[in-house]
This record gives sequence, C-alpha cells and structure tokens, in this order.
Amino acid sequence: MFIQQLVNGVSIGGIYALMATGYALIYSLLGFSNWAHGDVAMLGAYIGFLCVATVRMPFWLSALTALLGAGVISILNERLAYRRIRRNNAPTMFLMIAAMGLSVTFQNMVIVFLGPKFRTYPPVIPVKAISLGSIKIGVLDIFSMAFVIIAMSLLELLITKTKFGLAIRAASSNMITASLMGINIDFYITLVFLLAGSFAGAGGVLLGLKYTVYPQMGNVSLKAFIASVFGGLGSVRGAIVGAFIIGIMEVFVSGFITSGLRDLFTFGLLIAILLIKPSGLFGIDIQDKA
Amino acid sequence: MKEILKIDNLTKKFGGVCAIDNFSVTLEEGTVHGLIGPNGAGKTTIFNTITGIYKPTSGIIEFMGKDITNKKPYQVAQEGIGRTFQNIRLFSQLSVLENVFIAGHLDADYDLFAAILRLSKFGKKEKYLRENCIELLKILGLYDRMNEKAGSLPYGHQRKLEIARALALRPKLLLLDEPAAGMNRDESKELVEFINELKEKFKLTILMVEHHMDVVMSICRRITVLNFGKTIAEGTPKEIQTNKLVREAYLGGEDVAC
Repeated sequence: MFIQQLVNGVSIGGIYALMATGYALIYSLLGFSNWAHGDVAMLGAYIGFLCVATVRMPFWLSALTALLGAGVISILNERLAYRRIRRNNAPTMFLMIAAMGLSVTFQNMVIVFLGPKFRTYPPVIPVKAISLGSIKIGVLDIFSMAFVIIAMSLLELLITKTKFGLAIRAASSNMITASLMGINIDFYITLVFLLAGSFAGAGGVLLGLKYTVYPQMGNVSLKAFIASVFGGLGSVRGAIVGAFIIGIMEVFVSGFITSGLRDLFTFGLLIAILLIKPSGLFGIDIQDKA
Repeated sequence: MKEILKIDNLTKKFGGVCAIDNFSVTLEEGTVHGLIGPNGAGKTTIFNTITGIYKPTSGIIEFMGKDITNKKPYQVAQEGIGRTFQNIRLFSQLSVLENVFIAGHLDADYDLFAAILRLSKFGKKEKYLRENCIELLKILGLYDRMNEKAGSLPYGHQRKLEIARALALRPKLLLLDEPAAGMNRDESKELVEFINELKEKFKLTILMVEHHMDVVMSICRRITVLNFGKTIAEGTPKEIQTNKLVREAYLGGEDVAC
C-alpha cells in the first residue's frame, strides 16, 4: 500500500513538476509570478483534446500540437503583454496583475467558445494497469513518468551545459549586465516562454488524460506555485523537488487520512515554509537587482 | 591616427534634470582618455548612454564610423565595446570561468541541438572558446580560481574578473568605470601598469572614469572634465592640472545649473 501510494504520488508530482519548472524559470528571469501559467496548461489540454476528439488526429501528433500551441500562446503572452510592461520599467507587480488579467481572459474565452462542460479525452492510452508484484501502475502513469523524466533531464542539460542555460543563469543574476556582455535578452526571454509554455502544455495534456479537461483546470498551477515557493522561488531544481514532495504528500494524505484534508496540508506546507525558511529549500536570498 | 569613437553633442535629460549637456569627445585609436569630475557630474551616465542602457535625448555616437546611437546594449557589445562597472556587477552565482565564458560566447554559432548532442564542430568551437577564456584568466591571474564562484572572490580579484569578462568580448574600446576604486596608492600604481600592458596586448582604446588623480594623470593622453553634465575643460593632463575652471569645480565654486 505504501509503495503503491508512493508511485501515485510520483506520478502526480511529475505533472506538477512540469508546470513548476516553467513557472520557476520565468520567475528567475523576470521576478514575477506568472499567474497565467496554469491557463496556458489548460489551453494546451484543450488543444490536445480538440485535436484528438474533434479533428481525430493521431495522439502523438495531437500532443505535439498541444505542446507547440501552448508554447506559442506563452510567447504571445510575453510579446503582447509582459514585454510592453517591461519596456516601461514598471514594477514587477504590474506584470503579475497583467498575468491575472490574462488568466481570467483565457478561462472566460474557453467558457464562451467551447463551453463550461467537463470533457474527457477518448481512451488514447489504454486504461490498463501493469502489476509488479503487489503494486499496480497504470499505463498512463508509466507514460507520464517517462515523459517527465526525459523532459526534466533535457531541461537539466539545457540549463547546465548549453549557452542558453549559461545566458539565462547570467540574465537571472543581472539582466542589464548580461545584455552588456552581448546577450540578446529578449531572444532568451522568448525561448524561456516557449519552453515554459510547452512544459505547461504537456502538463495540461497529462492532467487531461488522467482526469478531465475543464476551463478552470489551470488553477492546479497553484500547486506548482506552492512547489516553487517550497523549493525556493526562481530555483528550477527547487521547483522539481518541491513538486514531487507536494505530489507525494497529497497522495499520502488522501490515501491514509482523507482526501478532504488534502489541500489543507498543501497550503499548510506553504505557510510553514514561509514561516520557517521564507527563501525556500534551494532559494537564494534576493540580491540587488539594479 | 584613426578615430574610433566620436560623440557629438550628446544630451541626456531625466525629466527636467540634464544629466549630460552637449557632451562631445573624439577618441583616437590606441589612446587612453580620462573622464573626470565631481560626483554626479554625469560620467557614468555617459557610459550608460554609450552602451545603450539609456537612450540619448539628442546627439550622435559613432563607433568606428558606424552610428550606434540607438543600438541596444547587446548590439553595442557585439560591435566591440566592453565595459566594467563602478560597483562590481559580476554574475556572482556563476563560476569565474563561466563569467568570462558568457561574454566570449558571442561568436559561437547558436545551435541548441548541436549543444545537446555535442556535435564535433560545436565541440571544437567550444574547446577553442574555453581555451581562449582560460588564457584570459591566466593573463589576469585568476587561473587557479576559475572554478570558484565569482561572488566568493576577494574584492581585488573581482575587479580583475570584471576586466577579464569585458575583454572576453574581444572589444576594441574598453570603458573602465573607476577601476582603481577602493585601491591604495601602491595598488593603483600597479593597476596603471597593468592597464597599459592590457592596452598593448589587446590593442585597446580606453575611456576611463576615475577619481584617483595620480592614475588619471599618469595614464591618460587626454582628459575631459565634467561638472553638472557640462564639459568644463578638455586637454592633456598638464593643461587640465593648470586649468582654473577645473580647480574651481573640484575645490568648490559656484554651482552651475543646466
């Protein structure tokens, strides 16, 4: 039972991690909470759903379209809203408010054009479970975990081994200085939004496959936010660790206590970390950003 | 001698405040030009305007015959202007080598997939770049600390790392913002020799803001003196030392409003 729950926790934690990493990347660069991040995931889930259920595209192509679509929407958010605010040197609070506005807009646009109904993906991935001794793992969970592991490994490589990673680490330390070293900041911000959006889209599709697709499903990114705060705002590794801890904790609380208390524990964890170590597990104390 | 930087009637206003007022200067290739003046005279603002952080209110900045007035900071850097900062601005969480590497990365072709797959062409370039950066660190005496975090270096080394990072851009013009800040007389003497050495080695032209008069007087061929954004004198160190206006500005005279 214990190991069974652990597997379930890792499975859901992985989906949180997909969202939390993009969220953390954006925070580390621009210093604001992108509240529209979850809604990008929701739009990704809808794009995937429409491709599979309405257009009847093969699943892999639908998933790819969802990933790219969410990435493009994420870039558009930055180009049309955040970039203008950045140009004016406005406080980061303005970015956060703009993100909230985008979030409300996306949710309501989906309600207007696609309806408020809950929708389920057709069974593209067999609803079967594979038994390993006493543990049962759903095929979907295996698929999801494999995807998460690959995505996280690639992300780690990207951040530690490439020019892209070096540039965004430098830019998150000081954006103006980085640009004076010849780094085209706007270009890297665009790439980060593409990456974050695609990861969110993937998270959305996986959530949609596991549960249902509905206009408010993006609110699950609140969990990604908590994971990110828990791991240290702006730290990608922290976000991954935080996401898995929250995923596992939620499953254990639902499984061994009661599912009604699940969110109580999650939010309790947020309050606890803010009281005990506000900078989070891997957080760096905020330095002069000027 | 060839002109490398030509600034014509540069003006920068912040609201009603005139931080730079009709500043003009011409730098000849291979020389060191000094920019001095009391605090708030607009020296760093001039640096920020040259490097594209601020957009000038009016005026033209020409670098190697090319108009760079409205270029973005990264474009100015790519044109070949490197700079250091008054208050050190290293990427303190990155290693010493990474700090230099990032600036040197300019001319590496951008290709994510090649980077991930470590393709051989990419590998060669990367290796070449790495060797270049290590060479730079050796010249600046930072080689044995290259894997430490930049933020953990002692102050003097951090200053040197800033210079190394600026040099990694392979600049033709180097802007030094108070390189001798926080140094004593002996250290600043050493610095003068060091800057001269770098200038010869990398064929640099240098524009330097500095408060240490002994540094400025011994290294600069020409000096511009600013006060409240206005140029009050320009000339050789000798001319500047005997200039009446300059003495007044430094010893306190009438405030000149813009």
